[in-house]
Amino acid sequence: MPEPIDVVEALLFASDTPVEAERIQEVLDLESAVAAREIVEGLRVRLDAEGRALQVMEVGGGFRLVTRPEVAPWLVKLARSRTRSRLSRPALETLAIIGYRQPVSRPEVDAVRGVNSDAVLDNLLERRLIRVGGRKEAPGRPFLYETTREFLVAFGLRDLADLPKVEGELVIPDLGAEVAATVEHGQAETEQDPGAGGADVPTGG
Amino acid sequence: MTQEATTQTTGPEPAGLTVRVESFVGPLDLLLHLCRTNEMDLSRLALRTITDQYLSHLEAVRFQDLEMAGSFMVMAATLIYLKSKLLLPANPDDQDEVLDEEGELLKRELEERLREYARVKALGSWLAEREAEQTLVYGRTTAELPPPEDIPLEDLSVHLLQRAMQGLIEDQQRRVPRQVEPNPLSVLERMSEILDLLRSTWSLLFSSVAGAERLRAEWVVTLLALLELVRLGQARARQADLFGEIVIERNAVSVHEPARLAETDEESRPDADAGVEAIAAEAPRNPIPGEDAPRAAATPPRDDEPRTEQGEPLNA
Repeated sequence: MPEPIDVVEALLFASDTPVEAERIQEVLDLESAVAAREIVEGLRVRLDAEGRALQVMEVGGGFRLVTRPEVAPWLVKLARSRTRSRLSRPALETLAIIGYRQPVSRPEVDAVRGVNSDAVLDNLLERRLIRVGGRKEAPGRPFLYETTREFLVAFGLRDLADLPKVEGELVIPDLGAEVAATVEHGQAETEQDPGAGGADVPTGG
Repeated sequence: MTQEATTQTTGPEPAGLTVRVESFVGPLDLLLHLCRTNEMDLSRLALRTITDQYLSHLEAVRFQDLEMAGSFMVMAATLIYLKSKLLLPANPDDQDEVLDEEGELLKRELEERLREYARVKALGSWLAEREAEQTLVYGRTTAELPPPEDIPLEDLSVHLLQRAMQGLIEDQQRRVPRQVEPNPLSVLERMSEILDLLRSTWSLLFSSVAGAERLRAEWVVTLLALLELVRLGQARARQADLFGEIVIERNAVSVHEPARLAETDEESRPDADAGVEAIAAEAPRNPIPGEDAPRAAATPPRDDEPRTEQGEPLNA
């Protein structure tokens, strides 16, 4: 008869997504999610104590069984590939903005980055690191983007609270004011997106 | 905008450029770099210095596209505008960088954006480190467990729907419009065609006989012809994997009499098989020209849909 700890190990091994404590509780008929957590903790301790190549990781609101970084070189050799493709700097910066300010629209992301983010957003959508979470009730009704669970998994984050605190809030520049300011001295093209908020703000002075 | 813009930040150096140019992902990035190298306080921009340096750097920056170039130019314009205000001070006695109210507003906003961008950049590098750590850790990405009956909606997005739809539309457009078939197809004719081909070669691909245009009728008739030939022992068919290409081979046993069928089908066929007779009686009268015929002719094999034949499920 397998012990609960063995069953949990099997669950984590077989699942392709992080398994939530609640799900473990449900599958094992436990009284509480806390009990599930305790079993997972037991598994973690056991794997550590035995010096196994696998470890339990808490990411994306659940638990995953993953390999230890120490064995990575052999896995790379097994896969016959150098490394997994990494995100570009614009992609990472865009993710940072979305991670902190979600849900956020493309014009807002553009405003922080100072450049058009169309292609970057497409790329992130393609990788399923972000998703469309709705539309903003603003001119053009732009899509609102938010991060996905894959994002948390890809960066090894338990939840969004794991993102580091930065001094000051991430402030999105006021698009309306910016356009008004630029229109005033005849450089309306600061806004690269005609659909962005306030393209038809009346000239200031 | 190209994929390049997102996947690479550095490209090959253009020939003839001797100065090593850093790659900047945007005007704020360049501006921030200049502030850092000048050890400038982000809340007290020295506009004269920064504008001059920005402009000289701009000549060396290589742009990924017009839009990117545009965003750098807008920043240049803003800086020049601010600098021009300094050249015409409201109070000629002032030696400091004093701007009028509007210029001051613009400058403060620029500084705020710069600080904001600096934070985002720092977060970006933090994420990059996390990503690097995570690339050393491997977990399952696909499970062998059967998928749950309730599809988790949380990971779905409009984007996926849109892509699926786009894929369908593109697929539709790729297809050649249906053509009017001038000669009715006959299973018998197709059988002799295959045998003819097999006389000069040992094996051939099903798709080469049925035609790359994937006309439904063609595929159905070819498949029926092939099945009949196999039944009669005139040919052999091999399909290595599900929905894979079918290889038609000459049957080594009957290789000495490959032309028998082709010749007898015009005559009264004294020794022809009953099967051929049945086909001959039915198939030519069933030329399969339109929509209904394929279904009628294709009753025995259910998997003779042209699309599935090539192992290309509709919703790949």
